[in-house]
Amino acid sequence: MRSIILVASTRIFFIAMLLVSLWILLRGHNEPGGGFIGGLMGAAAFATLAFAAGVDDARKMLRIHPAVLMGVGLVLGAVSGLPGVVLNGSYLQHQWLEMDLGLFELKLGTTLVFDIGVYFVVIGGVLSFMFRLYEEEQG
Amino acid sequence: MSVTLALALGLIGSILAPFAAARWKTIGNALVVAVPALLFIFFFLQLGAVGEAPIVEENPWVPSLGIALTIRLDGFSLLFALLISGIGTLVALYAASYMDEKTPFYRAQFLFYILLFMSAMLATVTADNLMALFVFWEMTSLLSFLLVGFDSTKLAARKAALQSMLVTVGGGLSLLAGIILIGVTAGTFSIGALMENPAPLVESPLFTAIIILMMAGAFTKSAQVPFHFWLPNAMAAPTPASAYLHSATMVKLGVFLLATMAPIFSQAAWFGPTLVAFGGATMLIAALQALRSTAFKAVLAFSTVASLGTITMLIGLDGEVAAVATVGFILAHALYKAALFFCAGIVIHATGEPRLNRLGGLASVMPITAGATVLAAFSAAGLPPFVGFISKEYLFEAQIESTFTAIAVLIGVLVNTVMVAIAVVVVMRPFFRPARRELHVHHGEATGMTVGPVALGLIGLLFGLAPGLVATSLIQPAASAIYGEPLDVSFYLWHGFTPMLALSILVVALGLLVAKYWDPIHVALRRRRIFDRLLDDRGYYWVLDNTLALARWSTLRLQNGDLRIYTAVIATVVTFFMVYALLAGDGPVFPSVNHPEFNLYMVGVVGLIIVGCFVAALTTSLVTAIIGVGLAGYGLALVFLLNGGPDLALTQFSVETLFVVIVTAVLLRLPLMFTKTRTPGERRYDASLAAVFALTIFSAVLWVEAVPFNPVIPEYFAQVSYTEAFGRNVVNVVLVDFRALDTFGEIAVVAFAALGAWALLRRNNVAKKKPAATPAKEG
Repeated sequence: MRSIILVASTRIFFIAMLLVSLWILLRGHNEPGGGFIGGLMGAAAFATLAFAAGVDDARKMLRIHPAVLMGVGLVLGAVSGLPGVVLNGSYLQHQWLEMDLGLFELKLGTTLVFDIGVYFVVIGGVLSFMFRLYEEEQG
Repeated sequence: MSVTLALALGLIGSILAPFAAARWKTIGNALVVAVPALLFIFFFLQLGAVGEAPIVEENPWVPSLGIALTIRLDGFSLLFALLISGIGTLVALYAASYMDEKTPFYRAQFLFYILLFMSAMLATVTADNLMALFVFWEMTSLLSFLLVGFDSTKLAARKAALQSMLVTVGGGLSLLAGIILIGVTAGTFSIGALMENPAPLVESPLFTAIIILMMAGAFTKSAQVPFHFWLPNAMAAPTPASAYLHSATMVKLGVFLLATMAPIFSQAAWFGPTLVAFGGATMLIAALQALRSTAFKAVLAFSTVASLGTITMLIGLDGEVAAVATVGFILAHALYKAALFFCAGIVIHATGEPRLNRLGGLASVMPITAGATVLAAFSAAGLPPFVGFISKEYLFEAQIESTFTAIAVLIGVLVNTVMVAIAVVVVMRPFFRPARRELHVHHGEATGMTVGPVALGLIGLLFGLAPGLVATSLIQPAASAIYGEPLDVSFYLWHGFTPMLALSILVVALGLLVAKYWDPIHVALRRRRIFDRLLDDRGYYWVLDNTLALARWSTLRLQNGDLRIYTAVIATVVTFFMVYALLAGDGPVFPSVNHPEFNLYMVGVVGLIIVGCFVAALTTSLVTAIIGVGLAGYGLALVFLLNGGPDLALTQFSVETLFVVIVTAVLLRLPLMFTKTRTPGERRYDASLAAVFALTIFSAVLWVEAVPFNPVIPEYFAQVSYTEAFGRNVVNVVLVDFRALDTFGEIAVVAFAALGAWALLRRNNVAKKKPAATPAKEG
């Protein structure tokens, strides 16, 4: 019972939602958004895909196992605190790199690494059990 | 070299040496012996330094909690450090030989535990900070657990290991409570600081509670009545561990603590008499149980319990002599009891026969072991010219000079009679009396195993002949440390014809008599089942079984798998505590309701939420219920959005969306209509609980609104958010920067919760139901 229209439109929606989730993640430091919200949005994107096109498609699209994604996220979160230990003597004291690229000024901080970690953990956490729920239902 | 450095190097060596032993047998074994031996030499060189004042070295550890890893080495802790490292050396040597035919890994694992235990034990006796002492104390309990249960394939060993850990760690909790109270009342955890200024502690109304709590901890560790039962059961450990932990060192930690704190605690008048009472009771019960024991190691174990009771009693006795007697007895006992355990281990290892009355005629096969046993037993029986004789003279003198003369001396004579009898029996039975039935001796004596008992036996003789070797260097500083002020110590062999000598002779004569009639006495006492009922570990099992029964009962009632019960329990508890919190203190405060402006759209949004709630509560269709709940959720998100919380609103929207998506997946597997499983009565209860819960939350929110808002923190964050963290979104900056560690903890919780759910939803749950249709896939 798979609707072609639903599957086709979901693929477009999936890409759009994923892009939006990334955008929410990246703007987070200055505008409403961030890793948690972006992660929830990203998870919703994959969930929609799994709902319409099947878990196998969604798993393929994710490429790595959601539990692994969670682990990567945790590691990123933990690692992002290390530069602070080296440079300032305090764990998770975030460090910033400022670059003048001519057109605009770019500021990169270890906060971004931390937020990406949060993003991955949320996506991985939600998807790891949601995929299984869907598999039960479809199997 | 500082003591701290020596202990740190000792720990490193303790960890590395066994790994070497697992790979290269000869070099590894040598290294394993070298670690405690070097520590022993180091502590030996400190002998001259502790005479006047303790060595104190301060190392910060948790400065924010006032916990420093301060090392405090006084005469008494040096005595323990020497015993721990010295006997540790012999135990390592003995164990390497004892475990010779086992696999390298098995042997290395055992040596690893033994050396780690030694490090923990050394740290315990040299710690100045009570918190640090507690941490190391518990480490010794854990290592004892691992060593008692070392033969983990045996049920008895596992049971004994669990028992020893539950009893000692349970007592450890009591000790921790006592230590915390000390910190609260005296404002310091440092033993040194307490000794200098005990006044705040002594004058505190909590002083009694502190003593009782710390006493309970010490009594469990040192197997005093009513916790005496775990030590004999702990004999399930391999013999080297029994000799080391359960005789010479770890079980003395309790009396170590009592003796260390005695100068302060004895300012409570009842402290001494209580120790005398518990020590005396322990001595009598242990002596009785020793007479009733059959196994070689059990007899020795009960005599150890009796000795620990003796030390407890000595700490409780008043007078200078008691301090000297305590120290002398600890030294003598460690020397002879470790040696006796070593010999028992050799005999049991060679014959495979643990029962004392089945052994016999081994003197010709094991002449060195027999000789060592004789040396140790003479000291244990308190015969001249062994150090055990001197310590027993002081024991009697302390009892006579104390205020408890009659009763203390009576107990002392009775128990020491049994000790003499035990000494005779453990020499005569295995070695000199012919065996009752033929004994199969697998192998002779290994040098590694005989070095220990022979050395300890000879040292016992040496200290007896030349007590001057230890009198001023070891006994005097140690006795002064536990007496609280410098003592002039006499520690010599011949005291002349004194009442103590008469008591010694009486005890030896009676002991020989008991030894002669050991069998009839043993059988007669063993038949009396009443002792089993009174003295064994029934109480422990009663507590254990009832605790488990309580756990089963509560699991059955509260966690019965019905989600509605879970929800009801959680809601009831939360409601109860919130109502309590609201009514306690100042009582609820309600704000004057003067809403700034009346917004038509807010009415619409709130109406949406209310409609959603009613739909969810009243419908019989699951899908409709989900939509109703979703409606309420989206409405709430709108409220956040309209009141200046875009981040919160965005999160709420995402969560609601995901909720619907996830629940739909579940719902597709369920029937779409409720079947009515709740009776009207239950539904009424649910409804009223929900109403009370809602009302409570409502008044709590109103109350929050009524309390004047403190703008300091938000203003601070708004100000520094961009200047210090380069972000304009305060919520996000707080999450990823200011409170990043909290967030890290939260995502870790999310990850573990998700992993748990993921594991519960294992695919083979489905595959079992339809094996052919869905082959189990990965993931």
